Amino acid sequence: MDELFICRCEEVTRRELEQAIEDGAITMNELKRWTRAGMGLCQGKTCAKQVMALLAQKTAQSPAAIKPATTRNPVRPMQISYMTKEAE
Amino acid sequence: MQENKAKNHRVIKHPILPAEAPCDVSIFVDGQEIPAKAGEPIAAALLTAGIRIFRQTAKKGYPRGIFCGIGRCTDCVMTVDGQPNVRTCVTPVRAGMKVETQIGLGRWAE
Amino acid sequence: MSMRKVQAIVIGAGPAGLAACIEIAKAGGKAVLIDENAKPGGQLFKQIHKFFGSREHRAGVRGYDIGNQLLQETEDLGVEVFLDSPVYGLFRDPRGIMVSYMQDGRERALLGETVILATGAAENALTFPGSTLPGVMGAGCAQTMINVNRVLPGKKVIMVGSGNVGLIVSYQLMQAGAEVAALIEAAPSIGGYGVHAGKIRRAGVPILVGHTIKRAMGRDQVESVEIIALDEKFQEIPGTEQILSCDTVCIAIGLTPLTELAWLAGCQFTFIPSLGGHIPIHDENMATTVSGLYVAGDIAGAEEASTAMEEGRLAGIAAAEALGLYDEAAAAPLKASVWARMDALRTGPFGQKRHEAKALMLETAKGGTK
Ligand SMILES: Cc1cc2nc3c(=O)[nH]c(=O)nc-3n(C[C@H](O)[C@H](O)[C@H](O)COP(=O)(O)OP(=O)(O)OC[C@H]3O[C@@H](n4cnc5c(N)ncnc54)[C@H](O)[C@@H]3O)c2cc1C
Ligand code: FES
Repeated sequence: MDELFICRCEEVTRRELEQAIEDGAITMNELKRWTRAGMGLCQGKTCAKQVMALLAQKTAQSPAAIKPATTRNPVRPMQISYMTKEAE
Repeated sequence: MQENKAKNHRVIKHPILPAEAPCDVSIFVDGQEIPAKAGEPIAAALLTAGIRIFRQTAKKGYPRGIFCGIGRCTDCVMTVDGQPNVRTCVTPVRAGMKVETQIGLGRWAE
Repeated sequence: MSMRKVQAIVIGAGPAGLAACIEIAKAGGKAVLIDENAKPGGQLFKQIHKFFGSREHRAGVRGYDIGNQLLQETEDLGVEVFLDSPVYGLFRDPRGIMVSYMQDGRERALLGETVILATGAAENALTFPGSTLPGVMGAGCAQTMINVNRVLPGKKVIMVGSGNVGLIVSYQLMQAGAEVAALIEAAPSIGGYGVHAGKIRRAGVPILVGHTIKRAMGRDQVESVEIIALDEKFQEIPGTEQILSCDTVCIAIGLTPLTELAWLAGCQFTFIPSLGGHIPIHDENMATTVSGLYVAGDIAGAEEASTAMEEGRLAGIAAAEALGLYDEAAAAPLKASVWARMDALRTGPFGQKRHEAKALMLETAKGGTK
């Protein structure tokens, strides 16, 4: 297990994120869509800070200048049973 | 030097906190019965029983256990009573619960 | 759809949220407190150490006792509390701020004339080979397991990070019966209070400054770690690798405010690394750039439980004033006394830094578009 998993949920490695940045990703939204980092169950709560730091470092930007990926409702993972209950 | 006072994983003797209530129910983990306390998080019962591997990841099949302990990271999810992706660190134990090691994204019971 | 409207909705029942509700209720207002956990108290109930500060700050009282006092007060004042209710959305509405949450498996919503966000912070993660192995966890995770759930997450621990959380949790792990094999800190000196560090040293735990974790090893859970020394430029020094056996690695490298709901509401943000990164801009009343929306506690900059409580009080008093429950003359002295206590808490080598960061925040709020 020598991989460096930055996004634990989607098992996205540091290498994959670096590759996406080399391929031209410059925003958190792009990184998220291209690599799925932050798209797992926890919705980026665990990895966002590290992804942001990597993006800042690789693109020589100040972390202050990097906007987090767009927050969308819902901000909590909803169990599917909630939805099915709602539909009943 | 420090000595390891803990006889098992339960914190029994503590210089500040009051004594522990005993286990009062059982739950089933992959079919095996383990003692637990009603209302404690499922993860606590598993750790007490010495179980630390809660699931295998979808892509690589790697083992995972608890990581944040407060419901945020979703590393600790398991299949509970047929429902996958249940955060065991914040889901309370109920007597007779069936907890299964989750493989990948898990599967819903029929 | 008719929706219930209340004077104040407080999201998060940690020390900040509880204190905010108490102040609103004391002013005669109606507050609803919502938390996603089954139990209120936020991080307070895992804090079994005695607090610092003056008597007024309840120094010498343990975190969970303070938690119980706050809970009693909210109950006595008749604050309505919804537990097991994660808030997942926040929308601006012409009638106020709409808060949507899950309860009993259903989506529900409430309208608030004012809303106070007190959602706290999350622990920062660290990535190294093996960092996803069972046994690697946040220090706060281990703290929750031992002090709240009363179970050891492991028996032999390596702690990464020597800030106050790393130091306190190391000590508490020993109190709970675990062995702390070493505490590792990348910086050349210890980050937290000397008193805490001293306790650990006296217990015989080596504190290795200028070291980092290189990898965690084990087949399906942690069995050992490799650590390595760092030079002044934080570069690894080859040949200094050491393998330490352990079954648990705790990571205590700081907190990041949980700000999703503030982003959703459209708050303006500023970036202050010493407070944990992106912070919703707030003024001396804890008011954000969104009308009627306040922040308090770790979401407004990760600090400690005592400052979180004071910020909660401040936000509660300010919200009560905005609701017309206090006039300016009544609110001013109340706010001034909170500020005096907060200034006193933000002193000393660590407090001073936060004091400066918060002063910078107030400047930003003044200069910001309002
Ligand atoms: C794991 C951890 C351990 C800590 N240990 C210490 C320590 O030992 N000593 C110390 O001085 N400081 C410690 N701190 C620092 C912390 O600053 C304070 O102790 C204090 O608890 C912060 O208070 P708060 O009210 O802002 O947030 P919290 O106490 O974190 O409370 C926030 C509450 O908001 C709820 N919440 C969050 N999002 C939602 C949502 N969307 N919907 C509903 N509810 C929500 C949470 O469930 C939680 O109950 C710790 C912090 C963390 C994260
Ligand atoms: S351990 Fe993180 S959600 Fe349970």
